[in-house]
Amino acid sequence: MSAPTADDTTEHVFYAERPEWADVVPVVQYENIQPLAPIFYSPEYKDATDYFRGVVKIGEKSLRVLQLTETIIRLNPAHYSAWQYRYETLIAISAPLQPELVLSNTLTKASPKTYQVWHHRRLLLTALGDPAPELAFNEEVLKADAKNYHTWSHRQWLLAHFDQENLWADELPFIDGLLEDDVRNNSAWHHRFFVSFERGSNDDKDEAEAIVKRELAFAKEKIALAPNNSSAWNYLRGILDHSRVPYSTQAIFARQYIVDTVEPRGNDILDLENPPPSEGAELPCAAAIEFMADVHEASGNEGISEAVELWRSLADTHDTIRKRYWEYRIRNAVATTGKA
Amino acid sequence: MDLGVGALPALNSVGHVAHCRRCLDGLPASLVEMDASRMAIAFYCLGTLDLTGSAERKISTTDRENWTEWIWAQYVGKPLRSRQRFIRLTPRLRRRLSLGSVRGPSTDGPHLIMTYCALLALAVLRDDYAALDRPALARMVGACQDADGGFATTPGAGDADLRMTYCAFVVCALLDDWSCIDLARALSYIHRCRSYEGGYGQTPRGESLGGPTYCALAALHLVPAEHARTPRARLQPVEWRATVRWLLQTQSGGGFAGRTNKVPDACYGFWCGAALSILGAGDLLDAHALGAFLARCQYKFGGISKAPGEHPDPYHTYLSIAAAAIVSPDPKWELQPLDPLINATLDTARWAKTHVRVTAPES
Repeated sequence: MSAPTADDTTEHVFYAERPEWADVVPVVQYENIQPLAPIFYSPEYKDATDYFRGVVKIGEKSLRVLQLTETIIRLNPAHYSAWQYRYETLIAISAPLQPELVLSNTLTKASPKTYQVWHHRRLLLTALGDPAPELAFNEEVLKADAKNYHTWSHRQWLLAHFDQENLWADELPFIDGLLEDDVRNNSAWHHRFFVSFERGSNDDKDEAEAIVKRELAFAKEKIALAPNNSSAWNYLRGILDHSRVPYSTQAIFARQYIVDTVEPRGNDILDLENPPPSEGAELPCAAAIEFMADVHEASGNEGISEAVELWRSLADTHDTIRKRYWEYRIRNAVATTGKA
Repeated sequence: MDLGVGALPALNSVGHVAHCRRCLDGLPASLVEMDASRMAIAFYCLGTLDLTGSAERKISTTDRENWTEWIWAQYVGKPLRSRQRFIRLTPRLRRRLSLGSVRGPSTDGPHLIMTYCALLALAVLRDDYAALDRPALARMVGACQDADGGFATTPGAGDADLRMTYCAFVVCALLDDWSCIDLARALSYIHRCRSYEGGYGQTPRGESLGGPTYCALAALHLVPAEHARTPRARLQPVEWRATVRWLLQTQSGGGFAGRTNKVPDACYGFWCGAALSILGAGDLLDAHALGAFLARCQYKFGGISKAPGEHPDPYHTYLSIAAAAIVSPDPKWELQPLDPLINATLDTARWAKTHVRVTAPES
């Protein structure tokens, strides 16, 4: 059994002119004399939705309903009722879901920013229970837009919902590739945090510590390449917050980024735990100044004046758009400790 | 140093109101994807009229009556299927619509976001909600809640995200009835959407994003004091600091970006600006720079777009003006004060709170 397609390469025939639909009474949309924000529908859309209302009215769930809802979805992929009724119809008539997934590939790629296309996919994958091929499809959609929020949500859902070892296995290399293309892709950074720390099925303490160490090294390496990257600094902070490691453990690293120019590198052995800024990096780095100020603030009374000096430099020079915020941090720290 | 350097360009309120009036009158076929969210467009357009103080002057009695009738015509009276039977058609509504039995204008089932938009659009029009079946509305909100605490667009749809949590909480606040939802589970869901960056993702495990962060914070602050001791009903100090930091970090080039390292978009001036305001940190953002960015997003023939040089739409027009109403970059812009939790002018929010909760006498 395969559903007739409403492929838009064939010439459109109105449902009102199709003999096989003659038994359905179309239902026009009720609008009073002055509706709010009426849309001047195309004749194709009006015709199809009139028949859709007619079908829903009599509760018909049949093969031809799949054809009708596909017509509507192709014209308006955000028509949530058509999607919902389509899915109910698929289940009611026990239609094969694999061909539906193939159709969904096309519709998803055509409208990757529409909620409904992804939700439908999720329903299909849940029913089919075979998530493995989905990662490759997802990657293909990300190639067109590496920051599409829906695509990433879908990937995270897939991993968490099915939670299969083979699904998780290649996520880190996959993210590495994306960050090599664009080190400021925050969605990729977020995904890395999700994969590293939010998988939930990891109780091994030693392994957890190894992951923290590995991820700290990764973040610092990326910061060294491009210091002015909020994504990487937020990631570094996120790891420390998550694992309750004090920021001061990273002071040697961060301090290298608050100076005005890259310090000339001697022949001494490179400290792999604390990679220095790459040559030509734009310094000082505001995120590093903020980080060091947090380190000083946490150290208590004696650190406050150093923190204040750093916040002052952000407010006046390095991050003036957040001037009010940095001044608030100064006031707050001084009020808390009673020391300037 | 005073941050308010240099006067801001004028806010073309007349043009923005005209843009919204045009959209209320009709949209081209190319916007057919908006078909299922026309109520949201109505909300943005009417909201723009309201914020600019034009609702009284620019809406004739006839418009008001016709628009109110159209909104009530979207009220789901006759369920498609038994499981969608939450809103009963009252005899009074039947009479009001003079239709005998109402067949909805479309086949769409009730939708939580559109319900929120309709309630507020009706408040702008100063409707008395006489036709509203309050217990049925409360049941509908409860029916949208999933086992994990999230809310779906329609009962059982399984498409929960923080937008619907926010809408559910607003409806509870307007009804002054929190018994129809499982509040503890809903708060736990919100908490699971929190990300390591300090913002909230659209769904649990999601990347920090301005819109859901607003939805989460507004929802938390709508929870009335008597429930404030429910775990997670308020942010912990450490969470407050991280969220304020992240929200402020997204201000870049004047406007706000929705996510770290993205370009600014006018709508996030509202989502992030209102979120900061809710947290009591509204004075920490650079209001002048935000105002300057929003001014540059104004389209020469009216309406506001997501970024300078793009085409305007009601969504960005309303949210930009709402952002300006909150942060007041320039008193000359003359906007009505906004309730950042309900997302309506103070007067309209008050109207909704007063009139939605009152049970209409049975007729």
